[in-house]
Order: sequence, then structure tokens, then C-alpha cells
Amino acid sequence: MESSDAVLVARVLHGEVNAYGALVSRYRDKYARYAVHMLGNREDAEEALQDAFTRAYRSLARCEDPERFGAWLFRILVNRCRTSGARRVRRGQTFIHDETALLNASQEHPAEQTMWREEIERALGELSADQREAFLLKYVEELGYDEMAEITGVGVSALKMRVMRACDRLRILLREVHSG
Amino acid sequence: MADWGRTTLELLVQELQAPVRLDESFDRRVMVRVRRLYAERRPRGVAGWIAAAVNVTRRPAYAAALAAGVVAIATVGMLRSRPTSVAISGPIPVQFVLVAPEARSVAVVGDFNNWGLGDTALVAENHNGVWSVSAPVPAGVHRYAFLVNGEKWVADPTAPRAAGDDFGQPSSALVVEATAE
Repeated sequence: MESSDAVLVARVLHGEVNAYGALVSRYRDKYARYAVHMLGNREDAEEALQDAFTRAYRSLARCEDPERFGAWLFRILVNRCRTSGARRVRRGQTFIHDETALLNASQEHPAEQTMWREEIERALGELSADQREAFLLKYVEELGYDEMAEITGVGVSALKMRVMRACDRLRILLREVHSG
Repeated sequence: MADWGRTTLELLVQELQAPVRLDESFDRRVMVRVRRLYAERRPRGVAGWIAAAVNVTRRPAYAAALAAGVVAIATVGMLRSRPTSVAISGPIPVQFVLVAPEARSVAVVGDFNNWGLGDTALVAENHNGVWSVSAPVPAGVHRYAFLVNGEKWVADPTAPRAAGDDFGQPSSALVVEATAE
């Protein structure tokens, strides 16, 4: 039977460093999706995720509810993605279309959907980082607004506004693609 | 191509929810970082503790610990504890040793490290079944225990048993003296 997060966290805190590997495996892919979509390229996403896991390990003792390690880790990742995104903006980079990520994500899909996926990634890149974050948390990660507020530190009203604007913008961008 | 009988938003979300898979090399890279952090945080100077105990002049920290008489050595059926007095102010290095060949991990928890809560557990190093860790302990009367495999709470089998077990678990007594010579 799989160990719970709380059991794995306890084992790590008591010196079984390898138990952390089980937590990494458990959350690696689940959270890679968010990082890739948020940052738009696999390299930055992996770096942000590695940072998140490392920071979580370093602060593991401060995880107040080890049973919810995943949620705690995700909050760290969201912050890492913000930092990474801000750094990229300072470097003058734009949202990068990531072919590798798309191919990876498309393995279970017919080849003819590649263009659709490219359109989506491009449209996501057109959003502001705040809007993209709110949209991904709400619709892709399927979090409630209260959870989103807890993770982002942003008020529920502001988050709803960001999601709404993100949806409006995406509809326009994707409609333009299909009508053009 | 897209099924335009459904909303654009639904199709968009469906696509974005497709899994993104990282390969196992990612795990290895993370664990390299984690193990490095783990190594940096482990108490230093434990390796070679047996030699140090035999020839304490080579290791001042151990010499202080031994001189202070606050060496808590728990073996299966054998304990040595030699409390004396030294002119040392502040925490005094104490070496904890447990012989447990079958253990996967051993940590020391006590009132001097908040019972291992947070990241304060003292993780012992394994030397062929002899687990050892050294830690500074303030002068005073303390309680401690060994945490084996992260779950089994083991009192020092030969040290004095502390009255009133904390957390419903047995613990041992440790007296650290720091008085002038």
C-alpha cells in the first residue's frame, strides 16, 4: 500500500532522506503541467519545479499539515513560477512556445490536434502572468476561489476578475485564430 | 480538429489538462540537490567516533564532551555515563550512541531539541550497526529517547528512566553539568 504524504514526510524528517523521492515521484508530473503552462517552456518549468521541491525539503519541518504536503508544495511552486516569470520579463524574454512540451502532452492525442495546441499555448502566452495564473488555477487545476486566494495571497474578488478577463481574452484570441 | 459543438473554453481546458510527463532523470536531479542539503545539515564530526573516544586529544569537541561527563552511550544492555564537572559555559557537546544493527534510521529526540519537532531531530550516522550523533546540550536535567526507523520510540535501555514519560512514550534522563573546576 502506498504511504500517505504524512507518513513520508515523517520519515523524511526522521532522517530517511530517500523517502522524499517518493514525494517527488508522486507530484512531479501533476505539478509539471502547471509549471509548463505557466512558464511556457519546459526548461524554466523544470527549474521552477526543482526549486520548489528543494525549498519544500529545506522547509519540510514548517509544513504544518503533512497530510496536505501536496497543497503546500503547490503553493511553493506557484511562487517559484511567479519569480521565474518575473525574472524572464526582466531578461526581456517573451512567453516561449515549447515544442517539446506540446509533443509530450500530445502523445495521447491525434496528430491533427497539434495546431490547436499551438494556438492554445500561444493564446496563453498572450495573457498577463496574473491572468494566466488565475485561469490555470481555476480551470486546469480546478481549485476553488478560496484555495486560490490562500495560494496566491490575492483576494477572491480580484481573482474572479482575473479569471473572467482571462476567459474573455482567450475566447477572442482563439476565435481570431479560427475565424482567420 | 476542435469539436465546435462544445465551447471553446471546454476544449481549451481539456487540452490543458492533458498530462505533462517528466522523465525519471528529473527525480534524480532533485534528489541530488536534496541529498546535498541533507549532508550539509547533518551533525559533523561523528564519523570515527570510536577512535575519537579512544584518543580524545585529537578531537577537542569530544574531549570536552568526555570531560564534561555527558556521554550518553546506549548499547543493547550496556550504558556508560560518567558525569563530571567542567568549566564550560553554554551548551556542551554530548555524544549519543545506540547499537541497533537492524535499524534503518536512528535519531535522537529530547527536550533539548524540541523532541525532534520541525527539523530539529538529530539524525545519527550508522557505523556497522552502531548509530552515533553528537549534539550540544545545555546544562541541566534533560529527557531524551531514540527514534528508530522514524516511528519506534526507544528509551535508552540502561540509562535512568525519566519520571513521567512525555507523549506517553518512555524517555531517559540525562544530566549535563557545567560548573567551575
